[in-house]
Amino acid sequence: MRGALVIAGKDLRNIFASPLFYVIAGVCCIAWTILFIVSVAAFLQPQMQMMSGADGMNLHFTVFAKHISLVNLVMIFAVAAISMRLFPDEKRQRTFDLLLTAPVTATDITLGKLIAGTVTAWALVLVSLLYPLSLVFWGHLDWGPLACSYIGLLLLVACYVAIDMFTSSLTQSTVVAVILALIFNVLLWFLGAAADASESPLQRQVFEHLNVSTHYVNFLKGNFSVSGLIFFATVVFFFSFLTQRVVESTRWR
Amino acid sequence: MIEVRELTKNYGPHKAVDRLSFSVKKGEVVGFLGPNGAGKTTTMKIITGFMPPSAGSVTVAGFDVFEDPIEVKKRIGYLPETPPVYGEMTVESYLKFVARLKGVEKSKLSAQVERAIEKTDLGSVRKRMIQNLSKGYRQRVGISQALVSEPEVLILDEPTVGLDPRQVAEVRKLIKDLAGHHTIILSTHILPEVQATCERIIIINRGRIAAEDSLDGLSRRMSGSARVHVRVVDMKDSVVGDLRSTPGVQGVVARGGGVIEIDTDGSKGITPKLAERVVTAGCGLLELREERINLEDVFLKLTTSEENQNKGATL
Ligand SMILES: Nc1ncnc2c1ncn2[C@@H]1O[C@H](COP(=O)(O)OP(=O)(O)OP(=O)(O)O)[C@@H](O)[C@H]1O
Ligand SMILES: [Mg+2]
Repeated sequence: MRGALVIAGKDLRNIFASPLFYVIAGVCCIAWTILFIVSVAAFLQPQMQMMSGADGMNLHFTVFAKHISLVNLVMIFAVAAISMRLFPDEKRQRTFDLLLTAPVTATDITLGKLIAGTVTAWALVLVSLLYPLSLVFWGHLDWGPLACSYIGLLLLVACYVAIDMFTSSLTQSTVVAVILALIFNVLLWFLGAAADASESPLQRQVFEHLNVSTHYVNFLKGNFSVSGLIFFATVVFFFSFLTQRVVESTRWR
Repeated sequence: MIEVRELTKNYGPHKAVDRLSFSVKKGEVVGFLGPNGAGKTTTMKIITGFMPPSAGSVTVAGFDVFEDPIEVKKRIGYLPETPPVYGEMTVESYLKFVARLKGVEKSKLSAQVERAIEKTDLGSVRKRMIQNLSKGYRQRVGISQALVSEPEVLILDEPTVGLDPRQVAEVRKLIKDLAGHHTIILSTHILPEVQATCERIIIINRGRIAAEDSLDGLSRRMSGSARVHVRVVDMKDSVVGDLRSTPGVQGVVARGGGVIEIDTDGSKGITPKLAERVVTAGCGLLELREERINLEDVFLKLTTSEENQNKGATL
């Protein structure tokens, strides 16, 4: 664990010192700002107000839900861009040799990378939280669903980090890492679609549990679901485990 | 301190290291010498726990590299062929990171980093980013990194590559200073380097030990020996056998143009005896010259003769 924290600390320092992170953050903010302004403006249209009344719940579903979905979409790319360098950089600079001959385990290395990636990605998610919070002065914020959606978002983003960390451990090339990462993320979202295709009720149930969008929408609606928590935790654990195996196996090659 | 037994490493069908056995005592400095592809780096990577052997065992300070890798790694400072440095870090922050990674206590951290910087003379670049350093400085950072945790064992893979002559001398001096406190294995292609730094030499060729002796022993063994060059008018087969059976002769090679090369143990009176034999055989002696062998020749001889043997075996 000590080793994991040392590695995470080093990675975090290097990520936050690199221009790449600020470019990613800048692009994210531009996308979020544009959509947020547009949807707030639409929300403030008189017809809109009359139709549904300007209470917090409505604000959540019309403006915040859209914002959170965009954050989710943007984070797929942002996390891929952040995580693509986790392992390829170590291999390219031969510093992987240093890690593998230091008194740390493959689990420490994996955990360190996971922590570094997750902290970075969560920092971006927290920046995106500033948008909904900026409306606090306007009043009528419904805190429950907002908090719940953000918990869901953080969990989901942690899944992306674990997946992208795994794909980056497979290769020396950052480009390959990004492409693999995007493919895996899309697969994660399509896994649930198999539920509709399957016949037997048992299969349906299994795939329903594996359906990211079910869990995600649950959190978005403000229902904190334990099964969702378990699902996201399982994904993180599963891909971290795979990464640990890959790190361990680099010795054998 | 280090025990290597029957170490074998296969890369697919290729045997990089073949049943290597040796041991290194505490405080000893051992030089690995061998041509490219001999298996020096492979052996070092196995000792450091970077990769597992195909067969055989390695123990460091009593811990088996594959049963207690963490205990072994705590005790080793390793400089790989390419210095494992992060380009975007400064020298100082990098060394601090390595010290933490190696488990150096907080209270000793800065002192040890300072000492490593001082020993490798990096004071002037401590705040610079490593990617902006020259190759030689990066190599020094690599050495510094191996020292920073003050490990009992140092494994240095070609430590002086890329350094300027003054630095080469400094690093050699550093290694000499470290001897006694640390157990050191270093690899090199350069003979003067082992002569300057090591107490014992292990010459590796094609994954096997071709020779192993103390520096004194090896040079004594070799300084005694001599090579006799003979040129004759008429080469007779019988003379080669005759020479070979002379006591004190280690090897005879007949080359084209009537040239014979004879390796001897350099004992007294052997050269006149050889001359006598050539003359008695009636070959017509044209030239006879005695030449002392230096370590360089030994290295070449040990590594090439084995190669020839192997070639002979495969043919
Ligand atoms: N990862 C690998 N895969 C396949 N073969 C390898 C690998 N690493 C080394 N080898 C082979 O193993 C043999 C020994 O290599 P090694 O790097 O140990 O030699 P070396 O003595 O360090 O040589 P040099 O003096 O050039 O550094 C070589 O024939 C090399 O081609
Ligand atoms: Mg080598």
